[in-house]
This record gives sequence, structure tokens and C-alpha cells, in this order.
Amino acid sequence: MTTEVLLPEGDAQPEGRIGFGAFLNAEWIKIRTVRSTFWTLVALAVVSIGLTVLFCALSANSIANGSERDTHPDELISVGVVFGQVAALVLGVLVMSSEYATGMIRATLTAMPRRTTVLIAKALVLAAMLFVIGTIVAFLGYFAGNAFLDAKDIGVPLSQDGVVRALIGNGLYLAVLGLFGFALALLMRHTAGAITVGLGMIFVIGSLVGLLPGKWGDWVAKLMPGNAGSQVTVAHQYHGDQLGPWTGFGVFCAEIAVLLILGWMRFTRKDA
Amino acid sequence: MIVARGLTKKYGDKTAVDHVDFAVPAGTVTGFLGPNGAGKSTTMRMILGLDRPTSGTVTVNGRQYAGLSAPLREVGALLDAKAMHGGRTAYNHLLWMAASNRLPRRRVDEVIDMVGLREVARKPARGFSLGMGQRLGIAAALLGDPGVLMFDEPVNGLDPEGILWIRTLMKQLAAEGRTVFVSSHLMSEMAVTADHLVVIGRGRILADTDMRSFIDQNSTNYVRVRSPQQDRLETVLREFGWEVAALPDGALRVDGPDTARVGDAAGQAGLWLHELTLVQSSLEEAFMRLTAESVEYHAGVPGVHTPAHPPHDGDGEEAAPAPGQPAQVPQETQAPPGWGPPRRAGDAGRGQGDVR
Repeated sequence: MTTEVLLPEGDAQPEGRIGFGAFLNAEWIKIRTVRSTFWTLVALAVVSIGLTVLFCALSANSIANGSERDTHPDELISVGVVFGQVAALVLGVLVMSSEYATGMIRATLTAMPRRTTVLIAKALVLAAMLFVIGTIVAFLGYFAGNAFLDAKDIGVPLSQDGVVRALIGNGLYLAVLGLFGFALALLMRHTAGAITVGLGMIFVIGSLVGLLPGKWGDWVAKLMPGNAGSQVTVAHQYHGDQLGPWTGFGVFCAEIAVLLILGWMRFTRKDA
Repeated sequence: MIVARGLTKKYGDKTAVDHVDFAVPAGTVTGFLGPNGAGKSTTMRMILGLDRPTSGTVTVNGRQYAGLSAPLREVGALLDAKAMHGGRTAYNHLLWMAASNRLPRRRVDEVIDMVGLREVARKPARGFSLGMGQRLGIAAALLGDPGVLMFDEPVNGLDPEGILWIRTLMKQLAAEGRTVFVSSHLMSEMAVTADHLVVIGRGRILADTDMRSFIDQNSTNYVRVRSPQQDRLETVLREFGWEVAALPDGALRVDGPDTARVGDAAGQAGLWLHELTLVQSSLEEAFMRLTAESVEYHAGVPGVHTPAHPPHDGDGEEAAPAPGQPAQVPQETQAPPGWGPPRRAGDAGRGQGDVR
């Protein structure tokens, strides 16, 4: 039986200084070499673009002939993001929770023991990926959906106030939403738990607080992460009392930043 | 070189590692031996900075792990083979690790060939057998060509070929001057792999010694001899100043000389011998005795324990009939817990723990 092991010497010299770039590169390889990333992003694109096109196609006629006065063409051009946000949140959760679920976290931290740096690299790769994909998806959805509106002469031009901001806003919103899931996974270290809490916050609690009475209730509703953050994704605000696009997004970012800081504290202080 | 000083880890009220001091030198395979739950894995996780010590320090090459700028270049670790995403291919797993420490991409191919995973390198790791997973873990450990290597229970669940491969690998790595620190709960495994031994029980270091002196200190050898002229033989052997005792089956137990000297003594006296055997207690038993003492220690027996010098050292008679007295009680009932009846050297083929 041969059990020879050959260990070439001096072949593993590092190429250059090991810094943040190496961590980013490693996290980039990690995120793109699991299938869950690919399928989550495919789901995000298909659902977001598909639903925007579907809503535009179905409503174009009734808006054009005036039978549907409560719906405006410029709300429809990015409507699919409502559903795309599920995928972004799930991806954000998975990026972190899968490390704990699989035991990968031990390999990650032995290779990159500087925890704060590795956390920033991870968050940055996730957010950048979601921003780029989210923005591309938003533009594709706009072009495809707006074609149906154009056909009825109710198209929304890119030059219209707020349209480009809303499309880029989709990418921004999905990026920070991914970080929301990422922070929840850091705090809970559990995939299903983090996804449940995240979706509950955005879809369930975000809507339920609208039922709270008085001015106080209105403010709580406005400040809920999903409600505040999604204002940047619509070209024009038609519905009631909401924060402005950038104010709302700023509030959203601040809220997620608090969660990220709590997650960072847990990550750097607790055993892996 | 790994150095632990006063290393302690508490989980709530439970102390997993209790003021541990040890040094793992370069150029040898150091075995880290202890029963399950003794604190081996916790200690290894602290070395890698995965767990934070409650107090004390542990350094690798003079620095704490988190302070290493290219950790994979200095330390390679196999903690558990499952520390990877099952959906990622072996190649991609090694690729991100290489990228994180700016190791060249060709190094990934090199370690894949080294551990013999070329054919499955592009397949998801979740389909790997335990042995393949272990090989991938070792490939990851070797990636940065590190001077310090740690393996936590590397042979667990491996087939004989895999076990032999890992043993050979560890010895070779040590022969190249590297520090090799390998944990196990099997003394028999350590006896054939390690040159140096750190024994841990209940979070405390029970022994820190080289393998040779551990064997010398902890294995009790005696010669078993039978003769049709038993009484005369006993007298002759006593004249040499050796301790002679009768065993339950009528044979004699001689403490002190080896078989050659007993045979020579009988021959000079013109006595017939029907049996002449060297009986060795296995290292497994010595190890169990050590760790059993750590249990006693924690149960509150004061002052019975000194690291590296077990209190019963060289005092194996406690488990056997006192010299010169006929044994009347079967051996099994005399043996205290964890200190079973000695095995014969001739049985070494069956009992892995027997070491000559």
C-alpha cells in the first residue's frame, strides 16, 4: 500500500499583502459558488420582472380607458419589488445562517480570524450583489412593463421625475433589506427563525401597525423598516402619510445599522 | 510551537478547560489524549481563536491566532470534516480559502492531488464519504504549507487504509520539522503515532511527557512462569532478589527481570519450564487509570494527583496479589475500576493497546 505524500516546498507563498481585498475576494467566491445564491437571485428576477409586467399588462387597458382611476401608471413600473424583497431577505439570511448551519463558520474564522473585517467583507459583497442585481432587475421590469403602458399611450418616460430614482432605489432597498436578513441571522444564527422574523416584520407587523390609533400610530407605521425603506422604490407617492423617499430610506438604513451593530457585537464577542 | 499558559474555559458553571499549561514542540507528533468531553476540542478551538478563553493565553509561534496576518500560512487545522458548505465543490471550498490568504490558485490543485481527491474535486462536498471529507479537511489544512498542524480526532470513522494514510502523513509532517498536534481518545492510536503526549482529563493536564517515558512509567510488566518444579523455582527466583508471587492459576509472577533472565536462572538451576511469558499491561489501561484518577481527584480526594507522576506509578502490585502471598481471589474482582487484568504480550495481535 502506498501512502506517500508529496509536499512541495515554498509553493504556498502569499501573493502580496493580505488585507481587506483578500477577504472580499474570498467572500465573493463563497457567495457565487453555492446554488442557493443563484436560485434566490433567479427567483428575485423572475418574480419581480414577471409581476411588474403582469400588473402593467393587465391594468394598461383599464387605466387608458379611465375605468381604473385609483391606479397610476408610475406606481406600476416597479411594483414587482414588493415580491422581490422576499428573495433579497432570504439571501441575506442564508449568507450568514448557512455558515452556522454547515459549520463553515469555523473554516471561515480560521482562514480569516479578524472578525470585524470578515463581517464587513461579507456584508459588502452581499449588499453590492443585491444592489447590482436589484437595479438591473428594476430597469428590466420597467422596460418590459412600460412597453405595455406605451402601447396604450400611458407610458412613463425615464425622464419623468422620480422614475430613475425609483429604479435605482429598488436596488438600494433590496441591498439594505439583504443586510436586514444578514443582521437577523447574525443575532439568531438560525435560518428559519431569521427568515420568519424578517418576513413578519416587513409584511405582517408593517401592515398591522397601520391599525394603531391616532397620530402616534401613524408614526409607528411610517417608521417600520419595510414601510420607511420602500418609499424610495416608488416614483410617486400616492398613498397617504408617508416619509419622503430619501428620508424613509435614511430611517430604514439607520434601523438596519442598529441591528448590524448588535449582530457585530454578538459576532465579535461570542464563541464561534 | 504552541504554548498554553493557564488556559481556562468555563461555560456557565461548568469548567471545560481548567488552568491548562502545555507546550507543543516542533518536529514531533504531539498526541493530545483524553476521554470524550475532557476538553480537547475546546482547547483546540481556543488555539484557533474560535472560542475565547475565560482566562489564560494560548499562542502559536509566539502570537495569538487572531494576530496572525496569514493564518493559513502558519497553522493548518482539521477540526471537523464537516466545517464546509455541502453545496460547494471541494475545489471551490479550497479556492475561497486560498483567496482569503492570497495563496496562489495552483496551490489548490496541488493539495487536491496530495490528498487524492482529483476525481471528485468538482463535485459538491455533501456527497462525500466520511473519508473523503476528512481528506478534504486535510487538504484545507495543508493549503498554506503551514509549520503548525492540528488535527482533532482525524482517524475517527476512517477505514484502515485511511488511518494508515493519516498516520504516515502526520509522521512525515513532523519529520519535515513541523509542529503536529493531534487529538484522540484512543491511547492505542497515540501509541503508534505520537512521540510526545499531553494527557487531559476533566479539563486538566494529567501528563505532559514523551511517549517513551509514558510507556515506561505506566506499563507494568512482569514475567509469568510455570514449572513442574514450582516450589524449587520459586526459591531459586527469590534468591535473585526478585519479587515472586503465585498467580490464581498456579503460575508464578516475577517482577523485575525479563524473560531471558528468568529462563537463564531456571536453566542454571536445571529446572524445567512449561511456560515463560512477558505480560504487559496495555497503555489503554494506563490511560484509563490516569483519567480514572482525575475523576477521583474531582470527587474530592485531596493531594493524590501530581501531573506526569501518577501516584500509583511503579506500584502496579496494588492490582495484583501481594508478593509472597497465595492469591485466593479471582483477579477480576481485585482490580479497581479502570485497571483491568493485564493482558499477555502474546495477545498483542488482538489487543491493539499492547505495545512492546
